[in-house]
Amino acid sequence: MAFLKVEDLKVHFPIKGGLFNRTIGAIKAVDGVSFEIEQGKTYGLVGESGSGKTTTGRAIVGLNEITEGKITYEGEELNIKGKAIDPRRDIQMIFQDPYSSLNPKKRVLDIVAEPLRNYEKLSRKEERQRVHELLEQVGLSPESILKYPHEFSGGQRQRIGVARAIALKPKLIIADEPVSALDVSVQAQVLNFMQDIQKELNLTYLFISHDLGIVKHMCDEIGIMYKGRYVESGTKQDIFNSPQHIYTKRLVAAIPDIDPKKREEKKQFRQEVQTEYEQSYNDYFDNEGLAYGLQSVSDTHLVALPEKG
Amino acid sequence: MESKEIKLDDTQHVATKSPSGFSIIWREIVRDKIALVSLILLVLITSFVYGISLFLNQDEIVTVDLFAIHEPPGEDFLLGTDYGGRDIFGQLIIGTRNSLSIGILVTLMTGVIGVLYGLVSGYFGGTIDNIMMRIVDFFLILPFLMIVIVFVAIVPKYSVLSFSLIMTAFLWMGIARLIRSKALQEKELDYAQASKTLGSSNLKIMLTQVLPNLSSLIIVTMTLNLAANIGLESGLSFLGFGFPESTPSLGTLLSYARNPQTLEYRWWIWVPAAVLILVLMLSVNNVGQALKRATDARQRRG
Amino acid sequence: MWKFIVRRLFITLPQVILLSVLIFLMAQMMPGDALSGLIDPNIDPAAIEQQRENLGLNNPWYVQYTDWITGALQGDLGQSFRYKMPVTELVEQRLINTFWLSVATLLITYIIAIPLGITSGRYNDSWADQMITGYTYIGFATPLFIFALVMLWVFGYQLGWFPTGGSVAPGLEPGSFDYVLSKLQHLLLPAISMALITTVNTVQYLRSEIIDTKQKDFIITARAKGASESRVYNRHILRNSLLPIAAFFGFEITGLIGGTVFVENIFGYPGMGDLFIQSILLRDYSVVTAVVLLFGIASILGALISDIILSLVDPRIRIK
Repeated sequence: MAFLKVEDLKVHFPIKGGLFNRTIGAIKAVDGVSFEIEQGKTYGLVGESGSGKTTTGRAIVGLNEITEGKITYEGEELNIKGKAIDPRRDIQMIFQDPYSSLNPKKRVLDIVAEPLRNYEKLSRKEERQRVHELLEQVGLSPESILKYPHEFSGGQRQRIGVARAIALKPKLIIADEPVSALDVSVQAQVLNFMQDIQKELNLTYLFISHDLGIVKHMCDEIGIMYKGRYVESGTKQDIFNSPQHIYTKRLVAAIPDIDPKKREEKKQFRQEVQTEYEQSYNDYFDNEGLAYGLQSVSDTHLVALPEKG
Repeated sequence: MESKEIKLDDTQHVATKSPSGFSIIWREIVRDKIALVSLILLVLITSFVYGISLFLNQDEIVTVDLFAIHEPPGEDFLLGTDYGGRDIFGQLIIGTRNSLSIGILVTLMTGVIGVLYGLVSGYFGGTIDNIMMRIVDFFLILPFLMIVIVFVAIVPKYSVLSFSLIMTAFLWMGIARLIRSKALQEKELDYAQASKTLGSSNLKIMLTQVLPNLSSLIIVTMTLNLAANIGLESGLSFLGFGFPESTPSLGTLLSYARNPQTLEYRWWIWVPAAVLILVLMLSVNNVGQALKRATDARQRRG
Repeated sequence: MWKFIVRRLFITLPQVILLSVLIFLMAQMMPGDALSGLIDPNIDPAAIEQQRENLGLNNPWYVQYTDWITGALQGDLGQSFRYKMPVTELVEQRLINTFWLSVATLLITYIIAIPLGITSGRYNDSWADQMITGYTYIGFATPLFIFALVMLWVFGYQLGWFPTGGSVAPGLEPGSFDYVLSKLQHLLLPAISMALITTVNTVQYLRSEIIDTKQKDFIITARAKGASESRVYNRHILRNSLLPIAAFFGFEITGLIGGTVFVENIFGYPGMGDLFIQSILLRDYSVVTAVVLLFGIASILGALISDIILSLVDPRIRIK
């Protein structure tokens, strides 16, 4: 049984219009996405903005309503209305923007204790103790407990966000571009710290990002999304060593290389990939510019290969 | 050239944005001389009026004294008397107290209703918001003054309480609309979304997460509303549809000026009340405007 | 475009219906009915009851409502028991008076607002701007009725420049030049009083709109391209700021209604607002109902017109 299983997930947003504001169409933000995550691993969800990766993550924590499909967590189906047990306690989220994700009017204590107050009946003293521990765990000094978010830097704020997310000892954390709003110098710090925490608490990450470099550093398995659909998925090796879909190829080719000697080589390679992309675009995408269904290339590797011709 | 100057100013404001909350508000008021004077004036008037009125007997003041009709200001009566021989000074003090009290009461009641209504409408959005806002639109379009006057005229057992309820019933929409549009923005921010994933209920998010972020807007709006409500009450009392007869208000004193004789020759009856209303409303407005600037980084003075 | 107008009209209809129901219910709550004024108190109670039955006053409220609204639609607003005449006739002259008062007020409002707003916005932070801002501060805080009283005291009684009551001097031939002049003289002071207070909002709006616009990128671009200062203002800024103002007059109607109640009362100007207060005091409720209904519909239509004009001027509004 898979830890988290997403089957044919669809999230559509209605387009209102016409005389009486009726629904006249839908934006298919997520249009038939399936994947599985194993416990303790990090699954990377990659795509450009608007590809539906964030919506997928939000659907799993329940921030977006599911139009169709099924999400099962440890064998239990999520997103069923009127359900008594809420497995969401086990699933938490780290948000992209460390500035808007912390309530500016709340002290760190209240921010980190919010989930505890919802799920655990702790005395004031116990609660303070827990918050202290959590802050230490994320590397913040316990004196910050009475400060307001604006007194912290972006990286520190993101740590507060992590402390809040791990307060309930969750098993799965959805990290929605957790470092893209941070300075590059702080990014590595936060990422490494996230990996430490993962080992410590045996966490599973669903890591959403547009930065393949970071994904390569963080993830075991990767899914590439384009316009709400998967174009390719597989292990890190599958994706980075033998990308099959032209879209993936182009993404991988675009990863910058720090070795200046390879610059010319790289440039030529990128041009080749670009030429291939332009030539075979019509083979790989249908008339609406969407990817085809996935086909197995190996046990772990799925690719949306051309169907026509 | 002018626009360049403003730009420079803007960056300065952004830099000083971090010390949040009431310290900014306080600093803005102290820096704005007019607002500071207004605030001091308000505190003085309020404490004076509420203090003195403790020693005044309202029944005695509104009792007719036929031997002292239309006395000009003098030793016996500091500000003279009206057509019933009643002391103007006493009426002025009691009237200011009553006008202030009802202004505050109505502002608080409309504030609570408007904030809750706007919060629910903005937070839930969608169809609920649509329906709730259509109701607000309807209320806003009513000929407010006339409807209030009709209700005042037809309500049986008319009292101060029923008067303030009638006013409240038709005055909560402005603040509701403001709060709604701000709540609509706030609930989309990540902190509100985060609260959902942390298991907080909608009610809890609305009241403990979103509401604190609306506090400055609420304070500003309620201050400006207070001024407007004092004006409205005195206006209604002026027309004779405000406080009941036995309860003098600033508007009641002014209504004597509807008699041309009083307007032309007996200034002491209505001019002090007019000046007092003006001073009150200007002061409250000035403080409100200073608060507004304090909460809007673009307009802050420094 | 037309979609917005049609949708807006669909909102207006329920508003009018709701308004009429509200006013009808208010009328029901008023003590007495159409009969209490008509009948001689010496008549036998049984006969009154019979009359009631005949007039439909014992019908359920929704039947009475339908009767009332059909009448109102056909121009029958009932009988005034004080003046013993149809409300429609009573209202007619008053309505004309109030109409002219409102037109004059609106005109003066814009005559004041546009130059002041433009000066204040274009030369913001100059001494002229500070004077104008000071005026808007005071005007915003001053209750209309106090200002009107002071105006009447100063210009009516102390200086004697304007008449202190009525809408026309007695004894003049209707239609003659003197008659029109006298009418104008009578409505000028109330109109100026009201305009000086209501214009404040428009001045403030215009000022902040111009200040906002002149920092926008397209204005900076126009300047960078070498357009003269006057061209920048006339072609770019004013076009953007003045049009919405022109559309506001519909929204002003709601405010004007409140204003006329005070101003007509203070200046003894025989219009609808004055009639309204008189009728309430005389308990002439059929007149009260009619006045509220007419004013309510006027403000609904005013908002409708403004919304439509605004949507023509400003495409952003259509999206909502």
